[in-house]
Amino acid sequence: MRKLAFLGVGSLLLALGALAIDSPTPAAQAAQSAADTLPAWKLAAGDSGSLKGPRQPIFFRHDIHVGVNKMPCQYCHSSVAESSEPGIPTMASCMGCHLIIGGSDSSHKVEIKKLRDAWNAKQPIEWIRVHSVARHAHFPHMRHIKALGPNACQSCHGDVARMPQVFKVNNINNMGFCITCHLERKINRDCTACHY
Amino acid sequence: MSDATQPEGIDRRRFLTVLGVTGAGAAAVSGCSTAKVEKLVPYLVQSDDQIPGIPTWYASTCTECGAGCGLHVKTREARAIKLEGNPAHPVNAGKLCAHGQSALQGLYNPGRVKGPMARRDGGFTAITWDEAIALLSEKLQAAGGKLGVISGAGRGTFSDLLSAWTQAQGGRVVRYQAFDFEPVRAANQQVFGTSEIPAYDFAAARYILSFGTDFLTDFVSPVEHQRGFAESHGFNNGQMAKHVMLAPRLSLTGMNADEWIMLRPGSEAAVALAMANVILTERTGNPADANGLRTALAAWTPEKAQEASGVGAEVIRRLAREFASAQPSLAVAGGIATQHRGAIQACAAVNLLNYVAGNVGRTVKFGADLDAGDGYAALESLLQAMEKGQFAVMIVHEANPAYSLPKAGGFAASFAKVPFKVSTSLYFDETSHLCDLLLPGQHALERWDDLRPRRGVTGLLQPVMEPVFPTLPTGDLLLRTAQKLGGALAALSAPSYEAHLKTQWLKTLGTDEAWRSALQHGGVYGDTPVTSVKLAATAANVAYTAPVFDGDAGIDAFFFAPVPSVMGDGRFANRPWMLELPDPVTKITWHSWVEMHPETARRIDVREGEIVQLTSPNGTLSVPVYITPAIHPEVLAVPLGMGHTAFGDFATGRGVNALDLLDGKDGQGFLPYQSARVTLTRTREFKKVAKTEGTTRQLGRGIADAMTLAQARAGMTPALARKAEGHEVEEINTDREVEAIEGFRASQLEKRNIGPYAAEGLPMWGMVIDLSRCTGCSSCVTACYAENNIPWVGEEAILKGREMTWMRIERYWEGGEDGDPLEARVVPMLCQHCDNAPCEPVCPVYAAYHTPDGLNGQVYNRCVGTRYCGNNCPYKVRYFNWSAYNKKAFPEPLNLGLNPDVTVRARGVMEKCTFCVQRIRGAQNTARLEDRALRDDDVVTACAQACPSNAITFGNMNDPASRVTQAQQSSRGYHILEDLNVRPAVTYLAKVLHRSEG
Repeated sequence: MRKLAFLGVGSLLLALGALAIDSPTPAAQAAQSAADTLPAWKLAAGDSGSLKGPRQPIFFRHDIHVGVNKMPCQYCHSSVAESSEPGIPTMASCMGCHLIIGGSDSSHKVEIKKLRDAWNAKQPIEWIRVHSVARHAHFPHMRHIKALGPNACQSCHGDVARMPQVFKVNNINNMGFCITCHLERKINRDCTACHY
Repeated sequence: MSDATQPEGIDRRRFLTVLGVTGAGAAAVSGCSTAKVEKLVPYLVQSDDQIPGIPTWYASTCTECGAGCGLHVKTREARAIKLEGNPAHPVNAGKLCAHGQSALQGLYNPGRVKGPMARRDGGFTAITWDEAIALLSEKLQAAGGKLGVISGAGRGTFSDLLSAWTQAQGGRVVRYQAFDFEPVRAANQQVFGTSEIPAYDFAAARYILSFGTDFLTDFVSPVEHQRGFAESHGFNNGQMAKHVMLAPRLSLTGMNADEWIMLRPGSEAAVALAMANVILTERTGNPADANGLRTALAAWTPEKAQEASGVGAEVIRRLAREFASAQPSLAVAGGIATQHRGAIQACAAVNLLNYVAGNVGRTVKFGADLDAGDGYAALESLLQAMEKGQFAVMIVHEANPAYSLPKAGGFAASFAKVPFKVSTSLYFDETSHLCDLLLPGQHALERWDDLRPRRGVTGLLQPVMEPVFPTLPTGDLLLRTAQKLGGALAALSAPSYEAHLKTQWLKTLGTDEAWRSALQHGGVYGDTPVTSVKLAATAANVAYTAPVFDGDAGIDAFFFAPVPSVMGDGRFANRPWMLELPDPVTKITWHSWVEMHPETARRIDVREGEIVQLTSPNGTLSVPVYITPAIHPEVLAVPLGMGHTAFGDFATGRGVNALDLLDGKDGQGFLPYQSARVTLTRTREFKKVAKTEGTTRQLGRGIADAMTLAQARAGMTPALARKAEGHEVEEINTDREVEAIEGFRASQLEKRNIGPYAAEGLPMWGMVIDLSRCTGCSSCVTACYAENNIPWVGEEAILKGREMTWMRIERYWEGGEDGDPLEARVVPMLCQHCDNAPCEPVCPVYAAYHTPDGLNGQVYNRCVGTRYCGNNCPYKVRYFNWSAYNKKAFPEPLNLGLNPDVTVRARGVMEKCTFCVQRIRGAQNTARLEDRALRDDDVVTACAQACPSNAITFGNMNDPASRVTQAQQSSRGYHILEDLNVRPAVTYLAKVLHRSEG
């Protein structure tokens, strides 16, 4: 596996780069991104260390859930449209499917077993947080979903559908990142809109 | 408090972190840097009513005093973070006092007992609940009925269960409250033949006469009284009731009197009887049976009363006439401040006065049967039985008699004669330290329970969160021991107290649906019946005899007046919010003081802060002097509730316990608080008094403005009223000033319009505070602390003038010199959100700036702490965060009560009132999601929400229909320091004084 040194600032194209593990050329990626269904990259937990973003206790594949299976973000992050907090899906939500779905290959099965074991032990999975806005800034998720629509998540979080492991695409703690968008869309730039 | 403890290598920004409130749904700590690993911990199963980021509200009932106010508890991520009144509750109608607000700090108090403990080898050792219950059951079994219980729990299912449980074992329960109003009940028995406490309808009264009763602070149902008082005494369309206080000392209630008549301690009965006599003699149309009192009262002439009380006979006649002609009127007596050995006489005499004036049934409403304990006599008899060794096991529940009884009464010695003593206290208090087994119960916000504070009102309590510590509700403790012991207790077979409670409720409610509805509404509220009472035969025996005071009545002796302050009977002294809350009268925080009249101070040559020794036959106290005109020259007052020897780190060793000077033994069935004379010895040692007041006089600045009733009726403005009184009124706006100000204003507006803010329909937030309603009770101050994560700073910081009360109540004295009557003025002071804010242009980093919606914004993450803004603020409402309060003001588990919507400020930033901008933004978010405009009642600031007087109105000044715009139209409106032309967004409505004509 090779590290892709050019990854840095966020953009859809660069986010795609993160997936360039099995597919050697950008051209091949472009072809795949155009395809209706994204391939589930064959990866095992052992590979996650070389992917961007923090390693999680379970090698949870957003690319499979969102990219391949086309699950909408709010299927799991259900409070994002009504609350300032998007919500981390509960263990029960995971088990809602994974009671039945055990995984199609051995690498999946290993990860899903971790989930089931934790569920049986009544132990929540302690995910590593990737995106975190500083506490002196208040980011109401619901206002942004209301304004930008249910699929607006990627404007800040990047194209999660193509991330086997979630990583930070944008520096959301850089206020310029927020302001750029607020300027473009001619919306409130008052300090106390966020800072109080 | 030292400015200290910034760990090396952590920059200021890292300090802007919120600690641990995000709960089960999210991570614990966060900052700007991503270097630190944060965890996101999901729920296993999310309950339907818990959505991260959205508050969940529960209805419950306040247990901080016996009034039984309804609560709405705001929880976020399964933590209680704010208490508000339940608007549907008949007692408090959505309002809550400072004590009720501070229940959160009782819940999250670091001094809580963290689990069951048994005394072993002289110390306490943690044990398991199974061991604890086995041990208790074993001791109960062995006790064979020699069981005693002292319970501070209110009337309700728990008290019923406790009685059943104790009686089944042959034991005895005493329901004990330190402030139990026994004299009121005894007097009602004597005059009306019923010992119940009536409901006082202040809202209906047109004339209120208080015989030393501090009914706004500690008497029966303070929030309800204050609401009613503001209703009748607040200026409303030319009408307002008059309030007269007859007392040796001005309490908070006295500060709100239109007339304060200083009378000698203990002489209330003489004045009340004389007034009743005058009314009976002069007025026709008195209640028929009242005429029968004529002969009994004839001896009580105003002249005789003058001799006893020092109040002029003509004054007494005038008051009697005013009292009788205002229909209905209301006289109140009783309460701790007048609980001397003549207290029953005083209350009985006032009963007669009310009866003669025709107030009974109109403003004094029997039939409510307000909750009260068993009284001091029952406790005394229990103590005697303890002394005689009649108990093998004694359980103390929600009471702290080792503190709240005078040491001279010998509680500790009697208690020590009980071989096995159990405490269910939540805290390590004085009584727990004497016990052998600690079985900490659960806080009112953690458990199931109910209360019946009066007929027609039953309040429910439900757990709003998981218990903070592994404690056991005492109801469950009773049931589990009952099931272990069996026998006569076998009937108590409910699997849990929750199940027991529900079973009891279903007996009257019938259906599960009704039960759920009761839970949702916080209880069941029906009409409170009013029963008529007749004069009892013993009513004619009411008389006045001068009460006896312990100690010599020598020339250098003073009446000693222990008075309830913020600490109540001592139960609030372990809460930093309460310790830091300035006493409403003296504005002193964190320690005890003795109030002394300036004349007395001159006579004995004592200055403020000198520590004096007060000596009574029962003990000695050393306490610093506070000089105030609001006290009788022969009286020295010391606040109750401090001087704990054990009650957590906050309370222990702080101040003095005024009870140490009292004799606990008395034959009248109540504890006579006002019964000692003291002598005073100077020590020539000084302690700076930690008070938040600056100068006590307004010095003509027009801060707390007032006008007479006639002026208010004539629609005079405060400025005209001041002119009419012969005061100078500052000329506002010379042309040049106006020009400069307009120029500044234009530049501010220009700044505001950079960007797309010019959109129409922007709100302009403003506030109106009606000083004719505000009493200075300081409920708003505590609400502000709770809502805005304001740290307490401690005594040393307050001594340096570094208090952090975003909202404070300023108290000024008027008159009191050269024969002018003394008058207190209070004014809530908060950031005025000036349009021409002087703080804004001096900020070098634009941290202080004006928002497009009219707020004076303060951006903490921009602030570099130059304090220029604070120096330039004419109102002194900007507070600098001098120390790492974000770390030290919230020791675990107090941090769990932090509001996650508000940044916890770090050291080195300026902070101040934001008009609860988090509530504004929250309401705007909700309105946007619902595709609607903001409604007038969408945004209510924490202070306005809490205010029991409804003195504060907040809203959008750009909306002509809003309540705040309407309120601003009042001719009484003025701005503080108006001549500075800073254009505050806070409008005050001048206080109205109901002075006697002529």
